[in-house]
Amino acid sequence: MSVLDADFRRNLEIRRYPMLVYALVPLAALVLQAWLPWVLGRFGRYAWFDLPVVVTVYFALGRPTPIQGTIMGAAMGLFEDALSHHPIGINGVAKTVVGFVAASAGTRFDVEDHTIRLILNFLLSLLSGAMYVFVYRILLGLDLEWTWFTELFKAIGNSIIAVALFPALDSLQIRD
Amino acid sequence: MESFFARYRDLIVLLAILLAQVIGLAMQVRQTAAGTNTLDPQDGSGVRLIRLWANALVSPPEKVIHAAKMGTERLWLDYLDLRHVREQNQELQKTIDRLRLEQAALLEDARQGQRLQSLVDFQQKYIYKTVAAQTIGSSGSDLSRVFYIDKGSADGLGRDMAVITADGIVGKVRDVFPHSAQVLVINDQTSGAGVILETTRIRGILRGNALGQPQIVGILYDQRIQPGEKVLTAGGDLIFPRGLPVGVVEKVVRDPERENFIDVVVKPAAHLDRLDEVLVITSTAPRFSSEQQQDLATSEQLMGPEAEAMKEQKKASAIMAERLPGLTDPNAPAVNQGAIPANAQPGQNPPAAAAIPEQGQPKLLHPQHPDRFTPGTAAEIPPDSDAAPAPDTSPETPPSVNPKSQQNAPGQTDTQQAAPRRNP
Repeated sequence: MSVLDADFRRNLEIRRYPMLVYALVPLAALVLQAWLPWVLGRFGRYAWFDLPVVVTVYFALGRPTPIQGTIMGAAMGLFEDALSHHPIGINGVAKTVVGFVAASAGTRFDVEDHTIRLILNFLLSLLSGAMYVFVYRILLGLDLEWTWFTELFKAIGNSIIAVALFPALDSLQIRD
Repeated sequence: MESFFARYRDLIVLLAILLAQVIGLAMQVRQTAAGTNTLDPQDGSGVRLIRLWANALVSPPEKVIHAAKMGTERLWLDYLDLRHVREQNQELQKTIDRLRLEQAALLEDARQGQRLQSLVDFQQKYIYKTVAAQTIGSSGSDLSRVFYIDKGSADGLGRDMAVITADGIVGKVRDVFPHSAQVLVINDQTSGAGVILETTRIRGILRGNALGQPQIVGILYDQRIQPGEKVLTAGGDLIFPRGLPVGVVEKVVRDPERENFIDVVVKPAAHLDRLDEVLVITSTAPRFSSEQQQDLATSEQLMGPEAEAMKEQKKASAIMAERLPGLTDPNAPAVNQGAIPANAQPGQNPPAAAAIPEQGQPKLLHPQHPDRFTPGTAAEIPPDSDAAPAPDTSPETPPSVNPKSQQNAPGQTDTQQAAPRRNP
């Protein structure tokens, strides 16, 4: 429970970015997520990635409090839901939890280590998929066919994207 | 108390956000009469507003990216890659000439089909008006197979309009915004389209599976269903006009949940993963354009002597059939003018009896005991099959639709069902 304690904080280096990065990167992730699978055509079915999760994890890891990660995850998830035809809130719940866990993990682990960030990204991608299915099938009681393989491949895809994206976003940080 | 909130501030915020979203979700799902939960097909005003905002934010950059992509493609195709264009142009001109001739012949067939359908009291709808639209993006999730087009309510689009390509059906408009619209693709798990198998005349509902393949679900096992059979729209869903190509049967798999039921996996006719431009059917009504009518008149003129000869031939056949002993029942009641022989095949010209009902077509006797030597009798045709066909009870067919019209397939008269049966 100590992870959930707001007073329990490591002495973290807070990552700061220009406001434009906070506004444009999530928006670009959402637009590309909607556009890339489509433009890939017949290969779109193999578009195993979830850019909003990657961006949520990245920004949540660098924040000092889980609240910011939670809000960012919720916003990204709700936005994704709004673009689909599913009820608004399924991705919202999934990514809210992901944002919270990522931000909490960011206070416990050394997120400057690139390998740890990639492992966290992989695990949180799986968590996002599991939460989505949980909300859809268990909480709402709706029919949904799905396969774990897709979620696994998606998590691997997210990790591959993170390999390139995380250092690129790191370079946009405001350094004192 | 204050320290409690301060201590668990993060957790409280998390729970509050989750609770708000769960309440919002609960308001978007409704329970059916069968006790199962289902998505509310009509978004509430609040939900619709959120979708509108999201769309307003994402659509403009998507349109810009799409326009840049199309511009680059056009630059390459229209200016840089113009080798052999002159030869191709000549070939295309020849193709157009040939297609115009074929179209004239097809219009003649269509007109003939219309006449037959009016005889059996159909109300055939032809695609009247379509709006071409470019696809600009998708939902981004493989669990929500929707895409966006660059036309909206300002262009006359509305909910539940059919979206097609020249190859086949694609989906239906699910949500409409001022300058864009969301299309639910037929391979989504929540989609539903009434379809019919062309040869076996089995009806079913088409929807997607987890792998994004459209499949006809919940039909009784039937060994006649074979890969390669064409699947067409049935028209009963009041969204897709009858007779549009859906695809071909790819394979038949057992329903994992119900014994004796199968799912028919369909290979879609339209390239669902390569959609650049689609057509939205904005209205349906019988109509031929003036050019088509002109072509039709020309065709009739050209086919005049041939048509006369065919008519004479049919008349002679009818007279000869009347004289054949044992086949004519003088006491039988007059045959309905709408009757069409049961052995009529799709795509054939109408038999003489159907074309000229007033000339008195032969009234055939029923065999006292159906036997297996007489084609088309015995188990296939019960003795009392002169009665009107039983109304179709396929699930996708709304009860308000005339059952007669449900019996027939698009593009061809399903005469085996619509017409009173007569033994040869």
